[in-house]
Amino acid sequence: MKRRESASGLERNRARWGWVFVAPGLAFFSIFSFYPMLNAIWTSFFNKRLLSLKAPKFIGLQNYQRVLGSEEFWNSARATGVFTVGVFVPLFCLSLLFAALITSMRRGKRLAQAALYSPAVLSSVVAALIWLLMLDPRGLANQAVNWIAMTPGIDHQWLSSATMVQVSTMIVYVWKYLGYFTILFVTGIGKIPDSVNEAAMIDGAGPVRRFFSITLPLLRPTTVLVSVMILIQCMKTFSTQYLFTQSGAPLAPINVITLNIYNTAMRDLNIGRASVMSTILFLFMLALTWIQLRVSKGDEAES
Amino acid sequence: MRRGIRILDRVGGVAGAALVAAACAVVIVPLVFMLGSSFMPAMDIMQMPYRWIPETWKPANYLRALAGNDGQWMYLRNILNSVIVSTTIAVTTVVLSSMVGYGLAKFRFRGRNAVFMAIMGTMMIPFETVMIPLYLIIVKAGLQNSYAGLILPFLMNAFGVFIMRQYLVTFPDEMLDAARIDGCSEPRIFRDMVFRNSGPAAATLAILSFRQQWDNLLWPLLVAQEEKMKTIPAYIVKFTAEKHADEGAMMAVAVIASLPVFVLFFTLSKYFLGGSAVYQAGKE
Repeated sequence: MKRRESASGLERNRARWGWVFVAPGLAFFSIFSFYPMLNAIWTSFFNKRLLSLKAPKFIGLQNYQRVLGSEEFWNSARATGVFTVGVFVPLFCLSLLFAALITSMRRGKRLAQAALYSPAVLSSVVAALIWLLMLDPRGLANQAVNWIAMTPGIDHQWLSSATMVQVSTMIVYVWKYLGYFTILFVTGIGKIPDSVNEAAMIDGAGPVRRFFSITLPLLRPTTVLVSVMILIQCMKTFSTQYLFTQSGAPLAPINVITLNIYNTAMRDLNIGRASVMSTILFLFMLALTWIQLRVSKGDEAES
Repeated sequence: MRRGIRILDRVGGVAGAALVAAACAVVIVPLVFMLGSSFMPAMDIMQMPYRWIPETWKPANYLRALAGNDGQWMYLRNILNSVIVSTTIAVTTVVLSSMVGYGLAKFRFRGRNAVFMAIMGTMMIPFETVMIPLYLIIVKAGLQNSYAGLILPFLMNAFGVFIMRQYLVTFPDEMLDAARIDGCSEPRIFRDMVFRNSGPAAATLAILSFRQQWDNLLWPLLVAQEEKMKTIPAYIVKFTAEKHADEGAMMAVAVIASLPVFVLFFTLSKYFLGGSAVYQAGKE
């Protein structure tokens, strides 16, 4: 009798220690994640302004009406969308291509991965700065393009034309993250058992056929993961656009949503409207994560 | 037929390797540009055609980078800030995440799953969504332009908790029980056994957190408006946007900012590249 009591006492004691270890996490995430999240949603219904002494007034959905009715917001949504698609397609295809090529190499796999990865080591701002100079009218980018296309003396207006400045931000991103996603794909391909590939080879399937009929379908978990990671990464882009606009590039074509939130809050001091955009961004990310979970759950059920 | 495939494979392999080599070269070019230009006078960086090896060496770019356009030597202070902030965050993230991860991995208590799910749920909250409320918290606490303000929101993160939990789940229970029977207190078991043995996961997490903060522009932009509390990324933007900024000095600023991470990369690359592998394992 006594023994059992002490055993359950021990259990309770252990449970208490569990709470002790978890407590700092609970406190931290409550203050720095949950509270600000709820606060952002809450604030989106008030006409709250930074530095204002007046108490914020509840205005219902007016902020939402204003934001959703403003040209600037839709421009930002478009800029973010264009950027996301413009990065996603080349980044996804190239990293998959190079991962497939690297895995089939006999030597130099590690070296190639490290070389492709090296820009990812840089800070985003440094990456953007290097390209800022290379994309200068007199810079390396014009020289290289003109040399390849044999069109001497043409300025491609990398940082001044509306379309080109969008392209420029995409180049920075694809360059910086190519190696990172290549490595993710290499890891994913490495998990596919060799025997499947060998069997296909014996059956007479060439390298391209093997890639599309074996590697790609079996790589699905990685493909989903990489897609969602690229999308989320792109929707949160800020540093490149910020540096470019601060250095004189036109704002409108690259006024992505995070840049808009930052400017609305810090320049226009309109916290309420910034919160509306924050909330919309959150909903988008939530949807993406949900899709990823659905897809990977489906994969598990299948296998 | 089979032989045909073999040949096709070999030809494809050679062509593929050549393509990979070309891609590597293209990817490396901007890095070479950064390093070379950091030793050139501004005029040479923009000359046509660009010369990869500096004709006139100008190491004074580095002095200009550190002294700033206004000669206030603010970069030195800002580098120090970045080191302090990034290092502190790397340390607290590892310590706190392993504590919480340990609690979730090795103790059974009611509500444990709920706690775990709640913490994992925060991964879905983008920082950009909560940055304004966080900024208001920091302002209310009077912590603008302070290290505390720069550090507090990043003391730990859900991804860290996740990595550490996954790692510590595999820690042998027998060892913990043996230590308990020997009369070790729970905090000591954590400190001397669990934390000491979480090396690889802790190293990966530390490097990941360090780099994230080294790269962080948005948050310091909000909370550190004073020049002397800025971190490297904010300094770079300011230095670049100023009038009379010298392109050679800009590249020197960039090289200085990148040195520490490249040193980390070359000495600890297995944790660097391991980071993405861990991340992938975690997501599946």
